[in-house]
Formats: sequence, C-alpha cells, structure tokens
Amino acid sequence: MNKKHSLCALCLLALAGIANAANYTLWINGRNSGGTPGNYGDFRYWGPASTPAGVNKQAVNWDGRSSVASQSGRVRDALDCFCTGQNWCYIAAYSAGELLFGYTLANFGGSTRAIRHTSANAAGVCGDAGGVQTGWNIKWVRTAAGAAGGSELANAGAWATSEPLVQDLKVSTARAMYNHHNTRNIWFYRYAGARGTVYSFLLPGQDDEVVAYHSSGGAAGSAGRSLCNPGDWFCDDLTYGSARNQGGSVKWSWHAVAFRDDGEDIGHYGDANWQGIVGVVREAVAVTAN
Amino acid sequence: MRAARWTWPGALGVALVLALVLGLVMMREDEPVAAHAARAPPSAPRPPAPMPMAAPPDDRAARRGRLLEQVRLLDHTYCSYLLHSRYPHASRPAGHHPDQLYPNRPVREANPMRTEGGDSDPAVSLQTSQSRVYLAAGESVRFSLRAADAQGQPLALVVTRALAQGMTYGASRPAPRVTLAFSNDDDDDDDGKGAWNGVLTPSGTPLAGFHGTIRLEVRYSAAGRQGIVLFDVIHSPILPATWAGAPREAVGADALQFALPLSVRMAGRYIVSGRIDDATGRPFALATFNEVLGEGAQQVRLDVHGKLLHDGAPRLPLRLRDVEGYLLREDADPDRLLLPRLEGEVFASATRRLDGVPDTEWQSEERSRYLAEYAKDRNAARARLAASDPAAPLPPADCAQPAADQ
Repeated sequence: MNKKHSLCALCLLALAGIANAANYTLWINGRNSGGTPGNYGDFRYWGPASTPAGVNKQAVNWDGRSSVASQSGRVRDALDCFCTGQNWCYIAAYSAGELLFGYTLANFGGSTRAIRHTSANAAGVCGDAGGVQTGWNIKWVRTAAGAAGGSELANAGAWATSEPLVQDLKVSTARAMYNHHNTRNIWFYRYAGARGTVYSFLLPGQDDEVVAYHSSGGAAGSAGRSLCNPGDWFCDDLTYGSARNQGGSVKWSWHAVAFRDDGEDIGHYGDANWQGIVGVVREAVAVTAN
Repeated sequence: MRAARWTWPGALGVALVLALVLGLVMMREDEPVAAHAARAPPSAPRPPAPMPMAAPPDDRAARRGRLLEQVRLLDHTYCSYLLHSRYPHASRPAGHHPDQLYPNRPVREANPMRTEGGDSDPAVSLQTSQSRVYLAAGESVRFSLRAADAQGQPLALVVTRALAQGMTYGASRPAPRVTLAFSNDDDDDDDGKGAWNGVLTPSGTPLAGFHGTIRLEVRYSAAGRQGIVLFDVIHSPILPATWAGAPREAVGADALQFALPLSVRMAGRYIVSGRIDDATGRPFALATFNEVLGEGAQQVRLDVHGKLLHDGAPRLPLRLRDVEGYLLREDADPDRLLLPRLEGEVFASATRRLDGVPDTEWQSEERSRYLAEYAKDRNAARARLAASDPAAPLPPADCAQPAADQ
C-alpha cells in the first residue's frame, strides 16, 4: 500500500469513527404494559412509531407491573446499548418510568459499564464493542408526570395490590428508595399536568388524575405535599425552574419544572397515541433532542 | 384539579398558559436549598433556560428565537456541569441533599381520612408518622396517628385494630400476620395531643424472617366514622455485613477521608452514606460510598473532598454522623439488605486545619467526557445562531460564577 492509500485508509477510519457517534432518544414507559421488553422498536405503549419523538428514538419497554428493582436491568441494558462509547442519549421517562430511571441512575450511574454496540438481541442486550467507562452518556432527562415522588393512589390502596410496582409507588417508599438528588449533575426537566378530577380527594394539591404536583413537579422530602397552580389562596404554588416553591419547599437538585399546567388541560394518560402529558413532552423532545 | 378551590380570575390563568405556550415564561433564579446547611459550598444548581414547548411559526425571527433558546439551554447545561462537578459525586455539599441530612427523622404525612368504604372525608385530616421506611434486622419502627379537623384542632380517635402482614405475590406462601398494640398513653411523644402510637419489632415476632414489605393496616374511628390507613416498611431479616471497629481518619490524595471497617459476610455492591457536620453541628456535606466489596475485612471510605473543604471553609473539627447503608441486590426484589444503622455521632475528626488538604477540582474521565460533549453541543448551537444572523451579537460565552455560591 503506497503512502496515498495509507492516508486514505486513515481518513476512512476517522470517518467511520465519526459516523459511529450518534445521539439516541430513549422512552421509558410507566405503569402497565404495552411494548415488548427488549424490542427497542416497539412503540405500542406510546403511539404511532412514525410520530417524531427525538433523534433515533428507542422504546425501553418493561412490564409496568414488577418492582422497580427487578426491572432496572431493562433500563441498564438500554443505556449500555445506546449511551456508551461515542453515543449519547436523551431520556424521556413517563410516570413510574421516572422512578425506574432515577433508581437506576442513582444506584448504578457510577458503576463501570462495558461499552456496547447498538445491535440488540431479542432480550435487548447489545454486544461488547470493547472498552469500559464510568456510567452512561446522558445529555438530559425529560419527565412526563414523573412519579419518582410516588402517588397517593398507591397509599390508599386504589390500585391492585397484586402488583409489586404499586408498593414501590407508595409515597413514603418511593421517596426513601434512593437519593433523588443524585443525578450525576444531569438535568431533569419536569412536565406536570393538572386535569385530574376523579381522585382529587386522594391526591393533594393539583394532579393529573394519577400523580400530584409534589411528584410531577419534583418537590423534595420524605412525604408529599400540596402544590398548585398560581391563584389558589390556600395552596402553595409549584414554581417553574429549580426555584423553591411558594411556601419554601425545595425541589430535588438538578430537577427543574419546564411545564406547569395552569389551564388544567393536560391529563395523565397517553392513550397509546402520544396524548396527555406524554404529548407535551413529545413535542419538546422532538424539538430539542437532535 | 383540586376540589373546592379558590382561584383568581380566569383571565390570569389563560394569560399564563398563553405565555407558556409561546415559550415566554422565564424561570426564576434559584436559591441555596438548605438554609440551615453550613455555609453552603455551592448552592443547588441554578435553573435552566425555558424549554421550547412547540415549534413556533416558521419565520426568521421565530427560528432565531428557537436557536437562541437552544444556546441558552446548552450554555446552562455546560456551565452548571462545569461548576458543580468541581467536587466528586461521592462528596457533595449538604445543601444539594436537603432531605438526606437527617435520615432518622420520622416520615410525617397528612391526608384526608380514608373511610373503610373506600371514600374519604376531607373534613378530617389524618396525621401519621413512621420512624423508618427501611428496617434492618433487629430494628424497630414506631407508628403514630392522630386526627384533626379543618382548623387543625385535635379530634378524638380510637385505634380499633392494627394488623401487620408481609406482602407476597403469586404463588408465594402467605406471610405471617402480627397484631400490633396501639395506645395513646405516651405522655412524651412528639406527635401531638391525642396521638396513638404503636411499635413493631419484626425480630420478636413471626415476621422475623420475612424479607420485603410489611404492610401495617390500621383501622380506627374518628368523627363518628370508621377509617383505615396503611403503613409500609421494608424489612431486612439478616445483616449482610457488620461494622468492625472504630473509624479512622486520613488525608488522601484529594480529600479528608473517614474509613469505617466493615466485616462483609455477603459480597456485592454496598451503598453507604454519612453526614458531615461542622464543629457547630450544622450540616456541611453528604459523603457516599458505592462500590463492590468482597467477603471479609473491608473498608467503607467516606470522603470530604479537599476543594469542598477549602471552598466551604467549615468550622473544624468535622463530625461524621448518621451512617446508613445496604447491600444492593441487583435485579432482585427485595433489592437490599440493610447494614446496622449508626445513629448519631460516629466519629469526631482530629483535623483542625486544612493545611495539607489538597485544594484541587475533581478530575475524572467521566467529567472530561461530559464537559467535552456539552462544550461541543454548546459551540455547535452558537455557530448555528451566528449563522442565522451574522450581524447580531451572541450571548456571552463565559460561565459566570454565581455570587450566591458561597
């Protein structure tokens, strides 16, 4: 091989390296099942797969009923596939999916990960690409009705107690399960709906029918609290950004409210068609995850 | 939506929604999180720029506005990471972890009375507390409940039955049940007048060997109605390791280190946290340990990063207190076996001066990787913005040090 050919080979190698670096958008579902676990192309839980929802979108499907701890491996597999080496990820987590992701990041975010390529087997596990790194490559997280702070519906026994996940969603349990401030300096942008009516007698403050603002808005503490939209004289406001809420309650560090449903128009459920708070997050992700 | 709310005129809400959809709502400045934390090296992260909610009309000004928002977001992402990654994840300012500083305080909740028929009575507030959520082998948990009216005045309450049972699923054999005695004769309790209290110690009951969630179902009467409330605790029946001697202190390559000897019976990933107070007793830092340990004699190292010490300048000597931790069982349910809890002061540092304690920022492959990627994204966004209107000035590119940081 002459000198010119050698240089071209180096160029190709360099180009190949650049071409291999990509961004991915991971969608982590909430309670109830939908897509097949391990099949990153199965978006049945969310809606039509043709709908724009961020660059190279992947569905991180889990069964939506088992305990967070037992399903964390599904998330770790996906993060290993798409968020190691030269690849970086945007994360969208819905409802209990935030509890699952937050638990995984807090407990395993500093662990040594094998760098993987992005071709997954049927179980959602990708092969080794060589090398290791600390944690994953994550640019930001957006949460739709994030349930990392639990739901009073689990407290009250409103859901079937045959699901281990319901135990995890009890407010005091969800909040004690891991250190929610430990995001490894990665921002969580939070989207909170407020069109709840049916369970308003159980859920404090504003809610989307499943998750109250104290959780979807990322309020810290070992218990829930009442947080509302501006204008309610007897309830503290959930504030935008990472600022303290009215009344002095603080949010988890690295968590910021990006959407508060002042019009009380946005419900919890996506109805497998990118609806409700899922739709609000999808719009934001489609614009910013590229 | 809340039932029975008082609201300002609806026009205000409509205006706010409109502003939000147009991406005009600016996020407020942040403040240090824990006002009681010792001299707050550095405050909690500051807020990000507003998020675009939807693609605005496709004209030139709107496109530039979108590009500007991207620049602000990516500037903020880069600068906040740069600032707050000066210290390692395992050694953080107390102000970043406000609800982790006193892990042995009871969890207090107040909810409308839940009646046995599944309804609720908003006129009666049931105020509950439980001293722990996770329970190590041999530990006890104290429960309390009282009722109050809408004005907060105590209402008479009587506990009629309290039954604790381990939660099982599917084909698992049902766990034993234990009846728990509640009383309201505790004069020195801090749960208020009229509170009923009960203590569960699984090790002295048929639940001693149960691993998982124990649900306590308490039935009571208040305001002439029958109510029900559920408490959950997660019980570890065995100790995976035991503390094995007095902590030691050393100045390491980049931190003041507290080493706690641990005799490990079960190998695996151990997650341990400890609180560091200054000499006046104010929280200064949270130190965490998250590493895989083999069986035998091991050390759990809780670090106070050198730069954190120099920046925060706490009054010395420091004190380590309230150490808790567990063996994390990966992909298992229950996911942890708890270590014996070390309540109160665990170790008093002998270090009285910071001479010799390094004052350098944390450096790691992870930090370099993140800063390189965030800088790349930020530069690309600025280039796109510049290209959209070469004559228009760009926002400042430097990461200003927030004055509120110290």
